Amino acid sequence: MFSLAEHRTERTRTVNASNPIPTDYDTFRASIREFLKEALTPELIRAGERTTSVFSDFEAGRQWQSILHAKGWGAPEWPIEHGGTGWDIQQRYIFLEECKLANAPNPVMMGIQMLGPMLMHFGTEAQKTQFLPGIISGDDVWCQGYSEPGSGSDLASLKTTAERDGEEYVVNGTKIWTSMAHHSNWIFCLVRTDKNVKPQAGISFLLIDMATPGITVAPFPSLDGEVEQCQVFFENVRVPVANLLGEENQGWTVAKYLLEFERGGQHFTIELKKQLGKLQRAMANPNSRAIDDPTYAYRVAETEIDVMALEQTELRIKGSLSAGDNPGALSSLVKVSGTELGQRCAELLIEAAGQSAMPWQSDVLAPDYTGDTAAPAECVTTMAEYINSRATTIYGGTAEIQRGIIAKHVLGL
Amino acid sequence: MSAHMTEDQTLLQDAAERYLRDSYDFNQRRERIAGGVYSDPGQWQAFAEMGWLALPVPEEFGGLGMGTREMAILAELCGQFLVTEPLIDALAATHAIIGVSQQQESVLPRVAEGELIPVAAIDEADATSRLSPGTTLTQTDAGWHLSGAKHWISAGASATHLAVLAQGAEGLAWVLVPTAADGVECDTFPTHDGRGGMNCRLDLVLEADHILLQGQPASDALEAYRALAMTLSSAETLGATQAALDTTVDYTKQRVQFGQPLASFQALQHRMSNMLIQTELTRSLIYAACNAADSGHDNAARFARAAKVKATTVGRKVSQEAIQLHGGIATTDEYIVGHFFKRITALESWVCSKGEALKEFMALSPS
Repeated sequence: MFSLAEHRTERTRTVNASNPIPTDYDTFRASIREFLKEALTPELIRAGERTTSVFSDFEAGRQWQSILHAKGWGAPEWPIEHGGTGWDIQQRYIFLEECKLANAPNPVMMGIQMLGPMLMHFGTEAQKTQFLPGIISGDDVWCQGYSEPGSGSDLASLKTTAERDGEEYVVNGTKIWTSMAHHSNWIFCLVRTDKNVKPQAGISFLLIDMATPGITVAPFPSLDGEVEQCQVFFENVRVPVANLLGEENQGWTVAKYLLEFERGGQHFTIELKKQLGKLQRAMANPNSRAIDDPTYAYRVAETEIDVMALEQTELRIKGSLSAGDNPGALSSLVKVSGTELGQRCAELLIEAAGQSAMPWQSDVLAPDYTGDTAAPAECVTTMAEYINSRATTIYGGTAEIQRGIIAKHVLGL
Repeated sequence: MSAHMTEDQTLLQDAAERYLRDSYDFNQRRERIAGGVYSDPGQWQAFAEMGWLALPVPEEFGGLGMGTREMAILAELCGQFLVTEPLIDALAATHAIIGVSQQQESVLPRVAEGELIPVAAIDEADATSRLSPGTTLTQTDAGWHLSGAKHWISAGASATHLAVLAQGAEGLAWVLVPTAADGVECDTFPTHDGRGGMNCRLDLVLEADHILLQGQPASDALEAYRALAMTLSSAETLGATQAALDTTVDYTKQRVQFGQPLASFQALQHRMSNMLIQTELTRSLIYAACNAADSGHDNAARFARAAKVKATTVGRKVSQEAIQLHGGIATTDEYIVGHFFKRITALESWVCSKGEALKEFMALSPS
C-alpha cells in the first residue's frame, strides 16, 4: 500500500508539477481529438452534455462503447491480452480528458472498471473467456449487487443468502442501489454462504444472469426524477457453481480488491476542470446571478486553487502507480476531496443560475431532443447536477467511511 | 510522470533533517528566546557550513546554484523545527534581489559564508504603500540619499544588511544597507513567533555601489522576490502544519480519557483525517509551485499565489484544530504545538496576506 507517512519521511517519490507534456503526448492527444471529431455524432455529444450524474443516456452510452470497442479502445485500462490498448498512464489520462472535453457520453462502466479487473485477478480461464469479451464490447451490461436495505456502509452484514444445492447455488434476498439494473443482463453479487463465521468470512462472489427465473427488478426515481437506481429481488434463483468468482467464502477479499479499483480509477480533476469552465462562463453571463459579484469570484478562485491542489495530488498518485504501487488509502483522500469539490462547484453553479435552474423538464435529457427548453440552455441540467452531486459522497464508500480508512490506515488511529 | 526527488535533493533533505533533529532542541530554543536571543550565531554558522546559505548562490560565486525546490526543502524543515533564524528571508532576498544585482560578485560569497545576513525591507507604516514605497532614493552632490522608514521587518534584528525597497528617479530601487550604518535607526522588538522584529528609520547618504537594482530590473526583482517568498513561506507553513498534525496524532494516541485513548473517538478521528487530507493537498500544490518556478513555467507566478492561498488556509485550520484536539496543554508555552500555531500565524501575513495572494491569483490569467 502506498503510505503517506512513508512518502513523507522517505521522500523518494514526490510530486510532479506542471511540467509540460512531452511532444509525443501532444501527437497522441491530437490523434485522440481527430478520432473524437469524426466518431461523435451530435446526438452522442448532446447525451454527453446533458449528463447529470455518472451515467449518460443509456443507449447513447452503449452506442459509444461499441464505437470505442470497434476502434480497439473499449477498455484502455485493461492489459493488452484482454483487449487493452497498451497506453501508459499519461495516455490513458489524456484519452479520458479528451473524451470529457469533447462531451462524449459515459458508457455504463461497472463491467469494465470494476468487474473486469476482478475477473482477471480471481477468475478461472473459463470465466475470463466467457465474460471478458462481452464486457469490453458492451454487449453485456453488468450491474453491482452489493448494498442491501439493511446493509449500506456496514456491507459485511449483508443477508442475501446462497445455499448450495448440487451444482447450483440457490439465492434468496434483495439488493438495493443497484444502478442500471433495469438495463443490465448480468449482475455481480455478494451473497452469504456461511452464517456461522464472522460476517466477512461467510461471503461469496456470484455472477448471476439477470434472465434467471426468480429475479425481479424494481426501478425507482431519484430526487431529480430520473431512474437510475433499482432494487433487485431474488427468490429461489438458481446459479451454477461455475459462476462463483474466487473461492467460496472468499467474496470479501474479492470485493475489497474491487472497491480499490472503484476508488483509485477515478480522475476527478478532469470533470472538475470542466465545472470550472462552467463557473467562468457563469461569471461572464449577464443573465447570471454571479455577474459582477466579487464575493462569487473569490469563491470560484479559491475553488480553482483547490482543484489545482487535487490535480497535483492525482499526479502524485499516478507517479506511484507507475512505480507499481497500489493507491490504497491515498485513493480515499482523492475520493473525499474530489467529490466534495464537485459538490462545491455544483453549489456555485446553482447559485449563479438562481430561479432559472428550477424548470423541471425530463424530456430535455434525451439525446434526440432538439425542442425548446424551459430553462436557459446553460441551466438545463444545473439543478439535476446539483441534486445528484449529493450522492457522490455516499456511493462508493461514504465520505465518513473514507475518513475512517484514512484515520486507520494512514494515521494509525 | 512523477518527479522523484533527485539524489541531491534527498541528500540535502536527509542531512538537514538529521542536523535539526540533533541540534535544534525545542527546549533550548525556548530558553534562548526567553533570554532575548532570537537568532543563534552558532546556528547560522552551522547553516553556512552545511551549504544552506549557498543554495541559491551560483556556482561561479562559490555557491551550489540550486533552485526553489531545494530552498523549499529547507523551508519545510524550518517549519517543522521552528527555526527562528531568518533562513527563508535570507534565501529569498539572496536569490531574487542580490543574485540579479551588479554586486553579486562581491556580496554573494559573503552571504554563502554566513558573514552577511540579508533580509528584504519592503513594508512601511502605511500598509497601502507597501509596493509603492514612501522611502526615497535621491541623487545628491554628496552621493545617494536614502530617506524614509521601514516597518515590520520579520527577523530584522538578526540581519546584518537590509535590502531596502525605495522609490528612485527611475522607478523602484533596491538598496543594500548595513543595519549598523550611521543614519539607520533601528527599533527592535520580540515577535510572537520567537523572532526579533524590527522597524527602522533611514536617513543616510550612500555610495553608488550600495544600489543593487534600479528601474525595471528592480521591479522585476520585486515580483521575483514576492513569488519566491510566497512559495517558501508556504513551504515553511507546510512543515509546521505537518508537525502540528503529527504532534496531535501522537498525543491523542497517548492521552486517555473516559478510560480510552482520545484517538479511539471517531469524532476526533475524522477531524484528524481532514487535517491530513488538506495537508497532503497543500503539499502537492507547493511542490508543483516549486517545480513550476524551477522549470520557468508560464504559470509559475500563479502557482506561487495558489500555494500561498492554500497553505495559509490549511495552516490556519490545521493548527487551530491541533490546539483544540490537544485541549488545555496546547495553550501552554512549554508545549510545542502552540508554537507551530504562532509561526503559522506569523507566516500568514509575511510578504502578503491570503486575500492579496488570491486577488493576484485572479489577476493572473492562465496561459
